Amino acid sequence: MTSRVVSLSVVLWTVAGMASAQSIPIQTVPLVPADQFDIFPSFTLALGGASIALPDTLHDPFVNPAKGARIRGARFFSSPTFYSVSRDAGAGRTLPLGALAPAGTWFGGLALALQQVDASRVASPFTGAPPPGVFATSVADLGASPQSHSNALAFAMIGTTLPGSDLSLGGSVSWAKLRALDGVDLLYPGSKRVDQSGETFDARLGVLKEWAGDRSFEAIVLHERFRMTHEVTFLDVFWDPGSQQFLQSPRLERNRDFSKRWGVQVKYERPLAASEWRIGWLATANRISQPNTPNSDLLNIPQDPGRATAYELGVGVSRTYGPSVFGMDLVYQPIWSTTWAVAQTPTATTSGGSIPVGGRTIENGFHFSNALVRMGVSREVTLGPLTRTVALQLGLAVRSVHYNLAQQDNVEVVTRHLEESWLEWTPTWGLSFRFPELELRYRGRVTHGTDRLVATPNQFIANPLIDVAPGFFPPPGSSMTLDGVHVITHQFSVSLPLR
Amino acid sequence: MMRRIVGTAYFGLLVLATGCDGWQTPSGPPAAIDAELRQSLSRWGTVPIGPTPAQPPALVDLGQALMFDKVLSGNRDIACATCHSPASHAADGLALSIGTGGSGLGPSRTLGPGRQFIPRNAPTLVNAGLGAFYLFWDGRVSGNSFGFQTPAGTALPPGLPNILAAQAMFPVMNRDEMRGARGDHDRFGNPNELAEFADSDFVLVWQAVMRRLLAIPEYVSKFNAAFPGTPTSELGFQHAATAIAAFETQALTHTDSPFDRYLQHDDAALTAEQKRGALLFFGDKARCASCHGGPLLGGQNFANAGVPQLGPGVGSGAPLDLGRGELLNQEFYKFAFRATPLRNVELTAPYMHDGAFPTLEAVLQHYNDVPRALRQYDASQLPPALQPMYHGEDATIAAVLTNLDGRLTQPLNLSDVEIRELVAFLKSLTDPAAQDLTSLIPARVPSGLPVQE
Repeated sequence: MTSRVVSLSVVLWTVAGMASAQSIPIQTVPLVPADQFDIFPSFTLALGGASIALPDTLHDPFVNPAKGARIRGARFFSSPTFYSVSRDAGAGRTLPLGALAPAGTWFGGLALALQQVDASRVASPFTGAPPPGVFATSVADLGASPQSHSNALAFAMIGTTLPGSDLSLGGSVSWAKLRALDGVDLLYPGSKRVDQSGETFDARLGVLKEWAGDRSFEAIVLHERFRMTHEVTFLDVFWDPGSQQFLQSPRLERNRDFSKRWGVQVKYERPLAASEWRIGWLATANRISQPNTPNSDLLNIPQDPGRATAYELGVGVSRTYGPSVFGMDLVYQPIWSTTWAVAQTPTATTSGGSIPVGGRTIENGFHFSNALVRMGVSREVTLGPLTRTVALQLGLAVRSVHYNLAQQDNVEVVTRHLEESWLEWTPTWGLSFRFPELELRYRGRVTHGTDRLVATPNQFIANPLIDVAPGFFPPPGSSMTLDGVHVITHQFSVSLPLR
Repeated sequence: MMRRIVGTAYFGLLVLATGCDGWQTPSGPPAAIDAELRQSLSRWGTVPIGPTPAQPPALVDLGQALMFDKVLSGNRDIACATCHSPASHAADGLALSIGTGGSGLGPSRTLGPGRQFIPRNAPTLVNAGLGAFYLFWDGRVSGNSFGFQTPAGTALPPGLPNILAAQAMFPVMNRDEMRGARGDHDRFGNPNELAEFADSDFVLVWQAVMRRLLAIPEYVSKFNAAFPGTPTSELGFQHAATAIAAFETQALTHTDSPFDRYLQHDDAALTAEQKRGALLFFGDKARCASCHGGPLLGGQNFANAGVPQLGPGVGSGAPLDLGRGELLNQEFYKFAFRATPLRNVELTAPYMHDGAFPTLEAVLQHYNDVPRALRQYDASQLPPALQPMYHGEDATIAAVLTNLDGRLTQPLNLSDVEIRELVAFLKSLTDPAAQDLTSLIPARVPSGLPVQE
């Protein structure tokens, strides 16, 4: 893909939580978010993520804790997950361990995970040694930013099935202590090091009602909080008149990234007439507020708050025909989002007015019309005894993002309009082995159509007509480009009964 | 049937997905002007200016006295500050300067009988201490703290701490500026002994100036205070030049403009209009930064900008001024002059090496289409005394355009609005503290000669 110079005024990049099914992602540029939190074992993720009309017994309790009611026996699981972004633009690995177990009418689960996230950038022109033309540094060596950081994640779930009603209730909390979010370091080109710290918290209540005839209704209410602090150290180059050299001095920026999300989702499934087909309907609503976003030269708008209302309407079908399974989802996501920038000082407008401190200098109104198609097939083959099977899965997810932006610039007193769209393609595949004593799964996926920000050093633009003095080359800077990348995720999972 | 349709659709998408390698993705919302501008600044190495080291007070005191004292001139009638007056922002406000023999100060200064204009405009000394690699319009003094190149060659005494001190060695050598012509008498009717030396007798002239200075007891005291480890007998003009440079650096460094605050990451320091102007300045349309880039916004290169030829001319090229092309082995730079550092440029009209343009708007209109502007130059915008000295002959214009900088041969096609934005940006380079420098003018100087005359 041809590199393009980044020209962004606003990047909405709402980070999905640990269980993302009910968190509608919002992006205004195709920056790849990687698969950092996609860590729990799943059957349907190898089917392109088609899940509205397909059960996913081991994964569903992480989405709707009431679905823990469908666990028939205590199981231990682990699902080592690895992702990597092409062009050495990021990687990570996670080791989750957990157990889900029923006890009478009660059920519960616990999971822990340790995660290591690699830096998303190679050494920039401003890390390590001073750039060419910078003769000395006026500060002690700050040390390079570590190439990997560790996160810790925890999940707990409990629920019960009300006797005689086929009604299950469940609640779950997940929490993560974060030292690294994939791709964040790319938001600060030219920085010497980026130290992240923060946490994310997700609490949800779920209900599941099942009727005879394999019909079911479920509902979820969730609340997420995400809070990160970025301590960014830059080594600014400056011209020192005393020594008549370029020197460096450190500058620390502390940025906060904070968002809250409320969400609700309802889903209804039933067989389609008297056939192997099932059909499901899904509706989701999210309310997101983001009082703080990172302040970087790239994103440009300092500490700009925003809020969004996102909806999701989906229909899914599935067919189980002997050893074959087919599933497909069609999802539409209308989203309305508003962000704004606030004047830090009294700001004059081109019309002669003035915006007071705290007044809005820019207001962005986004209207998204996103669509998803997820589909996949699975074919199971019996190996010898009926209790030993191997299954192959193939899937594809296509995500179309389209939005209109109306940007009201209150400083220049103009309104700009923009329409953008892009597609993300995600082929998936999987292989499962099921034995009486354990189940082994592998799933993989690769996402295309996304970009990563890449810092490209600018060399001084030499002109043969310019008599450039020795020792007076301005130090090279760097510009940001969007480079196309793909994200590959591999997950190996094992689950086995505890008794 | 349905199974077949679904299967076809699925595998069609799968083939498409796995076969594509040219994913088209959008560029995102409209460009953020600050993000774009900061990238442009990075591209041209335009970084903040660090603090200027404080100069020793005794050295600054001596330098201030020397700067304003006409005893340095052969005829005792002109000081450095005459053409670099704080009242005119360390310049003189004239298109072409008026040297020894003239009378008055600033824009109202007039030629003396039988004298002619200095061939070039007096550049401001504001921020001259920041360390530009070249000084003088033709860059004949160049270098940094690792070494200098000057017209004096090996005659330049050692010990000069910076290029500004090296530059300060030479105005006293120039007959039109300060030294005077053979046979001149000073303001008291005494023979001008400095004018009797040959133009190549650098050392003799400098020694003669020092004899004048050290004959004044107050100067001896000031030199001894400024250079406590140097015996009086070992003081040379390099010490005087060092003191003048120290004063210029201490008193005339002004780098707290809105643009400087913007470089220090204060996004609100510039207005939207100034930012648009800056984008033009550092962008590919106006391309100003290709000469006026770097931390000083100029000062490290030369260009033939097609400036109208004006004045008595210099050296072998007279009555034309070949600029750097007049220097030995620099024919390539015929009609090329130093791209001046632009901080506080708003305050230092008229502009260019010969003051051909009275306003920043006129400069930008010239750059917008240099060939056309040069051919259509209106000499009536010059002071009446200079209008007859405009060289607008076809042959001269053709000669200038023949060697025109390649970046200026085609029109820039800047609109009137864009020119206004560029002017707004250039005005953002003004440090408010540089608006009024008159407090730097001393009440008296050790020689007793008049300061404000």
